[in-house]
This record gives sequence, structure tokens and C-alpha cells, in this order.
Amino acid sequence: MVELVEYIAKSLVDDPSQVRVAETTRGGTTTIELEVAPEDMGRIIGKNGRVANAMRVLVRVVAANEGKRVNLDII
Amino acid sequence: MSETRSVETTAADIEAAIEIGLEQLGVSRESVIVEILEEPSRGILGLGARQARIRLTTAAPPRYQTPPAPEPPPAEPEPVAAKPAPRPAARRAVAERVAEPEEDEMRVEPSPESELDDDARVGRATLQELLNKMHIDAEIVVFRSEAAPGEQAPWVLQIRGRDLGMLIGRRGETLAALQYITRLIASRDLERRANIVLDVEGYKSRREKVLRRLATRMAEQAIQLGRTVSLEPMPPYERRIVHLTLRDHPDVVTESVGEGENRKVTIIPRRRS
Repeated sequence: MVELVEYIAKSLVDDPSQVRVAETTRGGTTTIELEVAPEDMGRIIGKNGRVANAMRVLVRVVAANEGKRVNLDII
Repeated sequence: MSETRSVETTAADIEAAIEIGLEQLGVSRESVIVEILEEPSRGILGLGARQARIRLTTAAPPRYQTPPAPEPPPAEPEPVAAKPAPRPAARRAVAERVAEPEEDEMRVEPSPESELDDDARVGRATLQELLNKMHIDAEIVVFRSEAAPGEQAPWVLQIRGRDLGMLIGRRGETLAALQYITRLIASRDLERRANIVLDVEGYKSRREKVLRRLATRMAEQAIQLGRTVSLEPMPPYERRIVHLTLRDHPDVVTESVGEGENRKVTIIPRRRS
């Protein structure tokens, strides 16, 4: 899941060197934290959160296949 | 199985009618198309109250299943004597059958490598990368779609493999997300809009056929009832198919109403002067 989020984020931002993705698991829930340069936030979130939402949908598919629950936080 | 079944139910409201229908069919919400045959109304002081009447048709399997082997020819002619008299109810069912032999949309010809342009190549590479990162083992077949009038035919990146229902998702939500991200990344690489669409095992072309038939049938109903008929909420791509199907219809106009997830097409009979 980290790989997926990292690939998408790095492909969309202007400054890929500032993309950080971390995964933590607590209880049955995995949280993925995505951090990008402040100037790139708009690209990652998209109009009306469309990009972020699409990423969440894809991450959830991967999580479901692994029998996990996942949250994607953009910070 | 690609066999479609349908059931009509009535209840105090639409949701309840759907619940009953789903139970009768033994399927989940995302695998049926809901048609609202009659909107419920309270009436005045309980007079003229009308129940909701709906029809559920199993038409879009939520998970892709291997297409059934072509129907084997009947092993032997049916013994004439044993044939039961046709029930009157059966006639209607036959007329409304949505099932059609699966055509060979699964066997579309991939475009030869030499004909692929940058959009096709970049799009395919992007999608392949995304699928790899999602740990999904699937094949991508690329071909040109048919162009809608006045549009440049997009490339179709058709994803094929086993158990890809999860790539479609509820009402095609996952497929829409995957297409959105793929286009976004490919368009950034190309520095222009990538002219590509995604499909999973012919899901969209099957949906399109179902929706065209649904649109036509519901238009007839709207005319017969002389009343506006609403369809189930649908994503933009599917609403568009309904609008286009009925665009040149002489007796109805279509309009989308509602917001976001609940936006749906309504079919309105034209007033004849």
C-alpha cells in the first residue's frame, strides 16, 4: 500500500523528493500517512478532494485483499 | 452466470420494496438494476395513497465471472407430450427478458503494437505500474473504441484476469477511481489530456447495453403513464449513456436531478400540443 501511495504521489507532485509515506498499524486498522511539500498539497488533494478520494478507493482495494482496514491521511 | 432474473415488488416506500426484492432474488444491492415503476405517494388523508412499485433486474454481476461456455445445443428434442401448457405469466417475462447471448465483446481485437501512439503506450505503462503496486495480476489489452459522434475515439485499456470484480467496485466506483488516477498520471507525463478509458473484462460495454435497453423501456413507461419516471442513482458516465440513448427520442426529454451520489436521470414525457 505504501508503494502504491508513493508511486501515485510522486507521479503527481512537482517535488517528488519531499514525498514521505509512512504506515502504522494499530488494532486491526492500518494508517497510511502521506506527506508532500506544502505547494504540492493541491495536486494530491485535487478539486473537491477528488484525487485524495480516488487514492483512498484504490488503497482500500489493496487493504481488502490483505484482509485489512486502512485509512489514508494526508498531512 | 450471465442469466438475468427480474422481480417486481411493492411496499410503502422504495427502499423497503428494494429490500424485499433483493431478498427474493437472493442477491446484493450492487448486482441489480432498480427501476422505479411507481413512486409512492401518501395521498390525502390516506385516500389515494399509493405504494412504491419497483422492478429489480440482476444485470450487472458485482464480480466478474468467467463468461459461461456457449449454451450447449439441446441434447434431444423435447418430448412434445411432456411439454406443459405455457403459463400466461411467462409471456410477459419473455417479452421483458434482458438476457441476450453474451456477444464476443470479450474477444475484441487488440490493436497491433505498431499502431499504438503515445497516449496508448504511456497509458498502458501507467496502468501496469499501478496494478503492480496494487499486487494485481492482470493483463492489459489495448484497442481503439468506437468514437461517439464528434469525438476522437479514445483508447480502451482493457484489464483482463481472474477475480477482477474488486477492480470494478460498487457502481463501478473502483474502476472510476483507477481510471481517474491513470489518466491524471498519464496526462502529466504527456503534458496533455491522455485520450484513454479503462475497462475491466468488458464491464462497461455490458453496462452500456443494459442501460440502453433500460432507457428505452423506461421511456416507453413514462409515455404510457404520462408521468416522469426516475431511474436509480448512477455515476456520471452511466447517466450520460441514458441521456444519449434518449436524446433523439421524439416523446420524452431527460434530465438529471439530485446531488452527488444520489444524482439520477429522470425521463419526462413531452407534452404534445
